[in-house]
Amino acid sequence: MGIKTTVNYQEEKAVYFKVLAGLLLLTAITFIQPHLFMAQSTFMAQMLIAVIKAWLIVMYYMHLKGEKLIGAMVIFALLLVLVFFVIVIGIDVSHFQFKGESYITEPITTGVTQSATPTHH
Amino acid sequence: MSKTYFDETHCAIGHPKSTFMQWMLTIDHKRIGIMYAAVMFTFFFVAVATAFLMRLELFAPGQQYIDGNTFNQAFTLHGVIMIFLFIVPGIPAIFGNIVMPLMIGAKDVSFPRLNWFTFWLYILGCIIAISSLWVGNGFADTGWTFYAPYSLTTGTNVIFTLVAAFVLGMASILTGLNFLVTIHRLRAPGMTFFKMPLFVWGIYATAWIQLLATPVVGITLILAIMEKYFGIGIFDPAKGGDPVLFEHLFWIYSHPAVYLMILPAFGIMSEIIPVFSRREIFGYRTIALSSASIAGIGYLVWGHHLYTSGMADIAKTVFSFLTFFVAIPTGIKFYDWIATMYKGKIVLATPMLWALGTIITFAIGGLTGVTIAMIGVDIHLQDTYYTVAHFHYAMLGGVVFLLFAGLHYWFPLVTGRMYNEPRAKIAFYLNFIGFNLLWFPMFIAGYLGMPRRYFDYLPEFQIYHQASFIGAVIFIAGLVYMFYVLIQGWVKGPKVGVNPWRATTLEWHLPSSPPPLENHSKVPYVDFDPYEYYHGEPVVKFDENMRRID
Amino acid sequence: MAHAYVPEIAVDREGNEHIVQGWQDDFYGGKLGFWLFMLTEVMMFGGMFLALAYYNTLHPQEFLEASASLNRLLGGTNTVILLVSALTMGLGLLKMRAGDVKGAKLMIWATILLATIFLVIKGFEWSAEYHHGIFLMHGEMLPESTMAFGKKLFFGMYFTMTGLHGVHIIIGIGLMLWLLKRINANKVNPQHYILYFNIALYWDIVHLIWVFVFPYYYMMGAATGGTSGH
Repeated sequence: MGIKTTVNYQEEKAVYFKVLAGLLLLTAITFIQPHLFMAQSTFMAQMLIAVIKAWLIVMYYMHLKGEKLIGAMVIFALLLVLVFFVIVIGIDVSHFQFKGESYITEPITTGVTQSATPTHH
Repeated sequence: MSKTYFDETHCAIGHPKSTFMQWMLTIDHKRIGIMYAAVMFTFFFVAVATAFLMRLELFAPGQQYIDGNTFNQAFTLHGVIMIFLFIVPGIPAIFGNIVMPLMIGAKDVSFPRLNWFTFWLYILGCIIAISSLWVGNGFADTGWTFYAPYSLTTGTNVIFTLVAAFVLGMASILTGLNFLVTIHRLRAPGMTFFKMPLFVWGIYATAWIQLLATPVVGITLILAIMEKYFGIGIFDPAKGGDPVLFEHLFWIYSHPAVYLMILPAFGIMSEIIPVFSRREIFGYRTIALSSASIAGIGYLVWGHHLYTSGMADIAKTVFSFLTFFVAIPTGIKFYDWIATMYKGKIVLATPMLWALGTIITFAIGGLTGVTIAMIGVDIHLQDTYYTVAHFHYAMLGGVVFLLFAGLHYWFPLVTGRMYNEPRAKIAFYLNFIGFNLLWFPMFIAGYLGMPRRYFDYLPEFQIYHQASFIGAVIFIAGLVYMFYVLIQGWVKGPKVGVNPWRATTLEWHLPSSPPPLENHSKVPYVDFDPYEYYHGEPVVKFDENMRRID
Repeated sequence: MAHAYVPEIAVDREGNEHIVQGWQDDFYGGKLGFWLFMLTEVMMFGGMFLALAYYNTLHPQEFLEASASLNRLLGGTNTVILLVSALTMGLGLLKMRAGDVKGAKLMIWATILLATIFLVIKGFEWSAEYHHGIFLMHGEMLPESTMAFGKKLFFGMYFTMTGLHGVHIIIGIGLMLWLLKRINANKVNPQHYILYFNIALYWDIVHLIWVFVFPYYYMMGAATGGTSGH
């Protein structure tokens, strides 16, 4: 079951090296990105590159290409993580209601650093 | 007399001669399930005893037998044992192991050695959890939720309990993984997903929760340990952390965990109802898919535990809305079960009694859950006995009652013998009356403002606590009597054939009772639905080679 | 299961034969199981990233400043090392499947070597940070220090997550040594290579985690100015 008796060695090897070249290129882009593009949102740009790299690794190094069942399972798990992020980050903490009075966030008055008096959280 | 799985076994390492070592090293799913059951019910009674100690203390206001700190440790011990050692692994580990492979016509689970390893991982977790009773500064006094920052600052031995919960979580993950692969790979030829028995559907949905939710609590416990030993400040507000994050991460697991408990229990219900109504189940697909959708929606509702925690208002609204949605698939299941019984030839055997009792108790438990899913109502009822009663009606009156139903239902399958039916019914009625007398007064006390986890109370609540106490005595008497009847049945009950209930699913078509080591003599080809009855008689029949003969 | 496993046959009512999948010798089952295990890793690190993003949302500016102070040169070197090690592991698997057992073993040794270099570089990085007073239970990270909460949380999570990733690397090295032992015992061979397949998958997920850890910690603050390194 699933064991291939013949391996097209040269062809598969070529794929490995092509993907390696792509990953190295993307890593290089990672370093010059802040000077090159999207300098205002480095975080988004970096994460975008990371997603492309991850996609290459998963598809070719981990042989997910053509795996329907496992692919669906991976997508389910990723969607779940995404939902956690949307709810916890997008809905809850980005609407943090106690910025002014909370001890764990910086005091809103500028110019004073680290003088947050322990108010009730 | 052919050999049964009690006579021979496969082992993880070597071929030991002694019976004891054969049990310790067995990779047979049926033996592993029995060992889980033995350990779990032992712990169950320890936790029941702890709960009874608390009831005893609460019989009258003021301090009688134990002080406040011991009381805190007692409810933590009760919660940790019941949740992490008993009810979370419970039905999957016991019946998922024993029955699920039989139901799909498999010889064993996909990774039998992993199954063996998982069992011992579970035992290791139990040992770590219990050892903190004697190691360090006493058992944790935080409650089973380990809320930060108190769990990070208390002097009691919280770390052991956290590590134990992590190890038990690992065991739970590996069980789920094993079952998922088993259900995907080892179904008998012809058995599509929509020809699987509904218990297998329950186990499948549960396994997904075990697999994907448990790692989140695992990492939360690791972060808490890092916090405690390395002071990374992640949950401690004194160092800049936010305890609300702990609650988020904790409940991202622990809320799906209650669905993890209830889904296989619903599966047992879906097995018992058609068999004892002698009728094909009503709405097979809706029950199967409602299990899947409860598992899916169950991931999205954890925030209803955080209404009073300082979470953003908009998040509360979203969570309240999502929580109502879970009631829909659960309601669908209830209608299907009741519709199955309609015009059926109902046989009031003990498993059916337990199932019918659960329809009442779980309906109360479920509907009171909808009331506290409302934000405004919850502000009043949060952390009161109302919530405690809701939780116990859902978990004890739902999951554990159905676990007992399964215990009676599959008893002849596992042991080859039958318990004393009239006595088992007496045990049921004792349990049912005791249970309701124990928990129902708490709804009222909680509504009037009795807070949970307090070891003292105002005099006006005494009547409710005393009623609960009487209920607890009856309930425990019922539990002890039930296990007495079962053990007596195993020792000297009459031998019964392979299919005493006239059920239709594959686990009742084994060559011998108790089953042989490698289950079915031949694997059948499954071209039939799991519950086919015609005029109260099973439709599908097999010859000795598991070929259909109808 | 040394002896060959013969699957059972089920016969339907028309007399057609169907092969029964047993738990023995189930390559796809082994692969499926390991993928499911990797999903738990995804959820685990997903939970950690969730915690990280939580505090990032509360302290955006301090996170950028803290990120800018990390050593991007060493972090980048480690990225490339892991990248190449993923290739050697994959090529080894390819050689194994093609029947070149010796070449496969060589590739595993190469992967182990690269993994060790990764750990050594990581060690240099951590010790440099220690000397700058930033380490768990040390210097600026102590409760009495006046470093901003956001930075404390950033570095606390940094040590936790890179530490946990390091633990995964160490486990990976252990697994590869075990794999070599199994190859030498001929338990893993060009016909039965599921163990190699899964350990290669494991190594890929370790790489994959780093693909996200690296930009989140090292590169996020790259545009904020600040030279690389301390």
